[in-house]
Amino acid sequence: MEKSEKRNPFRKVMAVRGMGQVVTVSVGLVVLCVVFGILNPSFFSSKNVGNLLRQIAPTLIIGIGQSFVLITGNIDLSIGSVVGMSCMLSATMMTKGVNPWVAVLITLACCIAVGLVNGELVARCKLPPFIATLGTMTIARGIAQIANNNYNTDSIGEGAETFRNFFYYGKVLGLYNTIWIAAALWLIFNFLLSRTRTGRHIYAVGSNLEASKLSGVNIIRTTNNAYLVSAICACAVGLIICATSGMGTMDAGNSYEMYAVAASVIGGVSTLGGQGILLGTVIGASIWGVLQNGLQFAGAPVAIRNIVIGIIVVVSVLMDVVLRGGKPRRTAKDKTAPAKAAS
Amino acid sequence: MQKTVVQLSHINKTFPGVKALDDVSFDLRSGEVMALLGENGAGKSTLMKILSGVYMRDSGSVKIFDEEVGDLTPKKAQELGVAIIHQELNMCAHLSVAENIFLGREKVKGILLSSHEMNEEAKKVLQRLNINIDPETIVGDLAVSKQQMIEIAKALSTNARILIMDEPTSALTSKEIDDLFVIIHKLRNEGCAIVYISHRLEELQHVVDRVTIMRDGKFITSGNFADFTMNEIIANMVGREIKEKFPRVQCPVGDTILKVEHLNAGRMVRDISFELHAGEIVGIAGLMGAGRTETTRALFGADVSESGTVTLDGKPVAIHCPADAIRAGIVLAPEDRKKDGLCTKLSIRENIALPNLDLLCNKFGVVNRKKEHEMAQKAQQDLAIKMAGAEVDAGSLSGGNQQKVVVAKWLARNSRVVIFDEPTRGIDVAAKVEIYNLMNELKQNGIGVLFVSSEMPEVLGIADRILVMCDGRITGELDPAKTTQNEVLEYATRFESKFSKPQLA
Repeated sequence: MEKSEKRNPFRKVMAVRGMGQVVTVSVGLVVLCVVFGILNPSFFSSKNVGNLLRQIAPTLIIGIGQSFVLITGNIDLSIGSVVGMSCMLSATMMTKGVNPWVAVLITLACCIAVGLVNGELVARCKLPPFIATLGTMTIARGIAQIANNNYNTDSIGEGAETFRNFFYYGKVLGLYNTIWIAAALWLIFNFLLSRTRTGRHIYAVGSNLEASKLSGVNIIRTTNNAYLVSAICACAVGLIICATSGMGTMDAGNSYEMYAVAASVIGGVSTLGGQGILLGTVIGASIWGVLQNGLQFAGAPVAIRNIVIGIIVVVSVLMDVVLRGGKPRRTAKDKTAPAKAAS
Repeated sequence: MQKTVVQLSHINKTFPGVKALDDVSFDLRSGEVMALLGENGAGKSTLMKILSGVYMRDSGSVKIFDEEVGDLTPKKAQELGVAIIHQELNMCAHLSVAENIFLGREKVKGILLSSHEMNEEAKKVLQRLNINIDPETIVGDLAVSKQQMIEIAKALSTNARILIMDEPTSALTSKEIDDLFVIIHKLRNEGCAIVYISHRLEELQHVVDRVTIMRDGKFITSGNFADFTMNEIIANMVGREIKEKFPRVQCPVGDTILKVEHLNAGRMVRDISFELHAGEIVGIAGLMGAGRTETTRALFGADVSESGTVTLDGKPVAIHCPADAIRAGIVLAPEDRKKDGLCTKLSIRENIALPNLDLLCNKFGVVNRKKEHEMAQKAQQDLAIKMAGAEVDAGSLSGGNQQKVVVAKWLARNSRVVIFDEPTRGIDVAAKVEIYNLMNELKQNGIGVLFVSSEMPEVLGIADRILVMCDGRITGELDPAKTTQNEVLEYATRFESKFSKPQLA
């Protein structure tokens, strides 16, 4: 078996767990692109492709964060609010004359604090992740509102030009910086998840908490790490939004946690924990972006776009639950049936 | 004359990559208990799942009550009178006995639940089985054995005539097993046909009329139980003679490796003190709930201990969490493989690497894949784990092989003390011997082996010294060469006088 893997690189790629689903959704992505391309040939124009990629980037970034948390078997509902918080905090500081890069660092520290609170509440205090992050979601949104006394900020000003270019308007090798930031974060976090001890612990905790604990895995630290990644990603997206509009908006990132779940789950990250790869999140975020962009191109109103995306998310989760947790999988692999010893 | 109620002929079933059943035939008569025997992965469960409609057969015929039934679904099988009692109990712990019995078939008046009627009916079924439980008791408050009886009652309340029991005794104490056998006899006399799947061959003689033996997905033989000797049965199951059921290795006892003094952790671990020497296997015997698992968990740092000192190779070690224990060189292969031992969704390679990532990572925490593969391969060879490859889900392995993976992940590092909690539960004879050999090998290498087991012959056969626990305390230390099962049992039931003997129910 080892030898045949070496001979056939394709097989080696397919042997990566979770790759099957990624290939399946990739086919879906290609089909979507072709359909939108036929409906409107300018869908494939270089201008639109550039825009499309830039639209996908934030979704991908928060998707990465949510994937980390989902793989540990938890969920992070605070992502959208942390995006808003990051946007408002950085913008407020910049309008008050703080050096943009200092503002970025302070913002990052605040977001990390939220991530730590999430992790501690879930892992140490054993709150249900849904409730814990629902709480921090509200708190973070409150902080976003209070940052500038319940107003959106003014323009972050001339001094922030380099900041705006770095996060949004600048281009390197013909691609917008936002895309590069997303790519860099993906590379770093994909390496963290697939190649390091931290990443392995994240999968293990999501697959079987008790077995991981008995294998010497520090559950609290591992859960914290996942929520930290999520908070860092949300922070980055908040900064991107701030750079884009050149001001802080209090409702920035509204319902982004939903988009993050969508990107992860469409890409094959299991809401049941322990399964999924970040390559899937790329495809998931792309599908989400292509739908948004394509429907917009096709002239569909925002409401219709929301409905379509909502349906796709529900169907993806449904497929995940049915295929992974439900009967068909148990039929295929008898031994994975969850043990339900009532004790 | 007994009537044939089930006839399965030439059943084939293939799962991706595995031929689970290969031309298997099986028949069952009314009023008999049929033992379905075979090693793990022999296809017993698969065959029974076809009979109960959980799986679809690929080919072959299924006749129930002389009627060709075609494609079964679980619901259809239930209507035909087939009920299966799984190894793992499927109960809603927060609901009452009656609610569980009528789960999914609730009796209603209009839109209102008719609790009174359900309670009455449940009471009747329970009385029929001579089970003295109030139908309104919450199931989670009952002992496991009683819960199992509720499962049987549930099956009977659907008028089941064909009852499949998958490892019904694996979680029961000997007294509870006796109660179960009384019920099985009663059902048999009423004309039920019972399929009994078990690895505990010694209990068969008490309940079984006929046996069917399977191996590697094939039918091997069947016949009256009385016509077989135990050795013939084992030989048919494993396809070869197993000479020594309990291979014993003598080696000189060396220095003290582990010294535990006055360990306390809650009600179930009270003032535990013992020593473990190089070159010996210490067995911990006792009844269910004697605090054996709790002791191993406290020692390993999985549960918080209140007081006590642990000395390893003469040096005191502080153990606050499993990571401390692992670092010090004390490891635990836990009791419940699926719950505590394995990440079933991860690959075998990842499972073996999990506790050893400190050895496999560089100082930046990056996993060295080459080393990881080597570790998985070495483990597979050393333990003869049967698997399609190290990349498959650990959950897809058979019980014995899963157990080997659990053990393998701890043997990959140089530990000083290996604790096994019920290492042979639910695995077949051949795999058991392999686990024993492994323990012996550790012993010869000067590693301290501590093992918890509920199977008395196993403790007497393998251990060099036996600690008996009862009610959270060590009540006796015995030499297996000079003791008997009765003596062990006597110590195992030595409850403190101030505590009344706990009632199981």
